[in-house]
Amino acid sequence: MNRLARSILLFSIGLVMARLLWTGGFGWFVQQRMRFPLLAAAVVLILFGLYEIVSSLREEGRDPDSSKRAAGPFVGWLLSLPLLVLASVAPTGLGAAAANRVDSYSSVEIDTGYEPLAPSSTPIPMQVSEFQGRAIWEEAQSMDGVPVLLEGLVVNDETVPDGFKLTRFLVSCCAADGIPVQVVLRDVGQQFEDDMWVRAEVVWRPPEVPYQDQEGEWEVEADVVRIEVEPNPPNDAYESPY
Amino acid sequence: MSTLESAPSSAVVDSGLTPNRLPVLGPWILVGLLSAAFVLRGRLGWFENDELRLWSTLFVSICIQALPFLVLGVVISGLIGAFVSPELVQRFVPKRPILAVPSAGLAGLALPGCECGSVPIAGRLVAAGTPSAAALTFLLAAPAINPVVLVSTAVAFPGNTNLILARFLASLSAAMLVGAWWSRRSGDSLLEQLRHSHAPKNGRWRTFVDIASRDLIHAGGYLVVGALAAATLQLVVPRSVLNSVADNELLSILVFAILAVILSICSEADAFVAAGLPQFSLTSRLVFLVVGPVIDLKLVAMHAGVFGRKFAMVFAPVTLATAVVSAVVMGWVLL
Repeated sequence: MNRLARSILLFSIGLVMARLLWTGGFGWFVQQRMRFPLLAAAVVLILFGLYEIVSSLREEGRDPDSSKRAAGPFVGWLLSLPLLVLASVAPTGLGAAAANRVDSYSSVEIDTGYEPLAPSSTPIPMQVSEFQGRAIWEEAQSMDGVPVLLEGLVVNDETVPDGFKLTRFLVSCCAADGIPVQVVLRDVGQQFEDDMWVRAEVVWRPPEVPYQDQEGEWEVEADVVRIEVEPNPPNDAYESPY
Repeated sequence: MSTLESAPSSAVVDSGLTPNRLPVLGPWILVGLLSAAFVLRGRLGWFENDELRLWSTLFVSICIQALPFLVLGVVISGLIGAFVSPELVQRFVPKRPILAVPSAGLAGLALPGCECGSVPIAGRLVAAGTPSAAALTFLLAAPAINPVVLVSTAVAFPGNTNLILARFLASLSAAMLVGAWWSRRSGDSLLEQLRHSHAPKNGRWRTFVDIASRDLIHAGGYLVVGALAAATLQLVVPRSVLNSVADNELLSILVFAILAVILSICSEADAFVAAGLPQFSLTSRLVFLVVGPVIDLKLVAMHAGVFGRKFAMVFAPVTLATAVVSAVVMGWVLL
């Protein structure tokens, strides 16, 4: 790889990163808090790229042979692969396909330091992971009878024929470490397609057998008050364990 | 200027893999491919397959997540290459391995990042005259014991201070053991190839940009190799297969060591993945946390690229074995 190719490659990576940051698409791949490190990286790449493009063109003017000199190994071309994939497959975030492959998070003690909920008649917005954490781990069970507003993806499952699993992914760093967090909604009375974003007002349904005594995966269930479809997924599609 | 270019200003060897046959066309082929992909997407409906889309999400996310750390790493490696002379290194790095290795291990505390950034830094440290045993110790310690990693481990395992301590001690001792092994074993022979002529005194900022870009292309290319392998294996080996071995301690330690290598998860995130598999013993999950930052698929690819294939073939199994043993010992003592 010669110097001009190298600099164009670095510049393109910087540009694509900047675009992903601008459109918010980076949130499909990494946590929101990676925004500023990524921005810094994009700026550095764009500056390096510009500096190198200009100086290699100048150098070529003085020394026509300079473009034949290697300025990086052949394997460096592979760096264009993520760009090609982004431009062609145009991947989006984790969804039903991923949820069906990875074990869910239900049996993990996420955080027990929850403030008890006050009884409320208006629904309380809550992360799916907090809903699950409270359901399983909060001893006071203050969530019993309190309406909660959850946002998440629809994941249809054979075990829930009359409903679906409302799903969010818990991502600590990048989508490759994503773990689904799910709440089972039964008797929904309506079919939703996989990967649709919904906002659901629900009330926790305490289990008949305590979760800790259940065989297999612990499933947190909730009764649906109402569901509306969200046309646009939220910017921060993933929940963070922090 | 032309003398600067003809002198090998980079210390990283291109290992003869550089068929420079497309020197002039290369950039334009790249631009053409990119625009063709952009125009064709959606038109043909080729890419609607769920598996392919999931694979590409995983692949791209591993690359994107590593990018800031890689850029930070090559900026530091560029600064080392352009501004740190062998004389400076000799003044600050202890000569005797018995001092150099532990201090290099503890120096790992100072680099907040994950493993991708430390590979080019270690390469430049060697090129600048650091004893290779010390540089390798730093390479292994930095991604495992830096504050960000320890804090995220604490968050993933709330209240489990012993696990954090065990992770810190096991990682540090694995790094130092490998460093000590290396200092006894070699006359720095394998790493000799990294010690090319040093950066010239004039045009230092230009040298800085050149070295940083070269290291980025180099380490980044191998990072992509690793990301390809990791994304593919994550799909081929579903994590649920694991549940069948959870009851057997020995087997689960082995499986977690292999898993750490295959998944190639960033060291700042692996604690959460380990926390998500509570059916396994803490010791087997500690193995996962100690092995992952020092050796995994993308690191093997990057080591092979920066230090040479022969080096990686020896270094990878030794590091893996050392990491597993020190994690098991620490787990036995502390957990």
